[in-house]
Amino acid sequence: MGAESTPREKPTPVTAPSPQQAELWRVVVLNDPVNRMSYVVMVLRRVLGFEEARARQHMLEVHESGRSIVWTGTREQAEAHMFALQQWHLTAVIQPNEG
Amino acid sequence: MKQVEIKLNISAVAPLLDVIKQAADDLRGTLAIAATFPEEDADFTETWTQELMAAQNSDVRELLGLFDSDFFADGAISIDSNNCESLLRGCAAVRIRILARWLQEVPAEIIEDEDASISDIAEELRLPFAAYTFLDQVQKIILEHLNPAVAE
Repeated sequence: MGAESTPREKPTPVTAPSPQQAELWRVVVLNDPVNRMSYVVMVLRRVLGFEEARARQHMLEVHESGRSIVWTGTREQAEAHMFALQQWHLTAVIQPNEG
Repeated sequence: MKQVEIKLNISAVAPLLDVIKQAADDLRGTLAIAATFPEEDADFTETWTQELMAAQNSDVRELLGLFDSDFFADGAISIDSNNCESLLRGCAAVRIRILARWLQEVPAEIIEDEDASISDIAEELRLPFAAYTFLDQVQKIILEHLNPAVAE
């Protein structure tokens, strides 16, 4: 090979979010002054199917930090969870799963 | 959950029912906790609110139904697997409403203290506070029977 070759620059990797990542939403439960801790644990178990220990961990996070991300997934499912949590009178919001 | 029958002192509970019914009346037209909506679409939020309202009204009716004429005959309320979830939600809704309507000025440490003395509360707020505490105890009994391992 007589032709002189110019070293090619290595392309900078670009990490574009996959379509799946871009569509993720999170369900956040916020603290409230009324509902007893065992009630919140029971609701998280019933609505989200958590085991006792995981539900208790989220309940404590809500109690101590004021909020806990309890679920991440598709927007449609996040809305369904948010609605179910509101039916149980927990304060719940959904947010795009950014950052 | 097995059926649980709770015997109550009718003369002690009857005055609390006035507060509970007033709170229940408020809840016919308003959600216990203002809902947040995932979309800024008027039709969507209206449907969302109406469905929450319908569920809330059904739960509160179930709660009030515990204190019907049978209750005033024998002082007993009956809780089983058919009504326990609805009663838990109904108690939560009414407690939230009682707090919002009557107990806003009561310090949180008293509200959250299961052993708070009624003498810590201003006289005009004692009945609402007693109703708030009574519904908390009903919830506690249901939760203990749903999950005997529960301890707070």
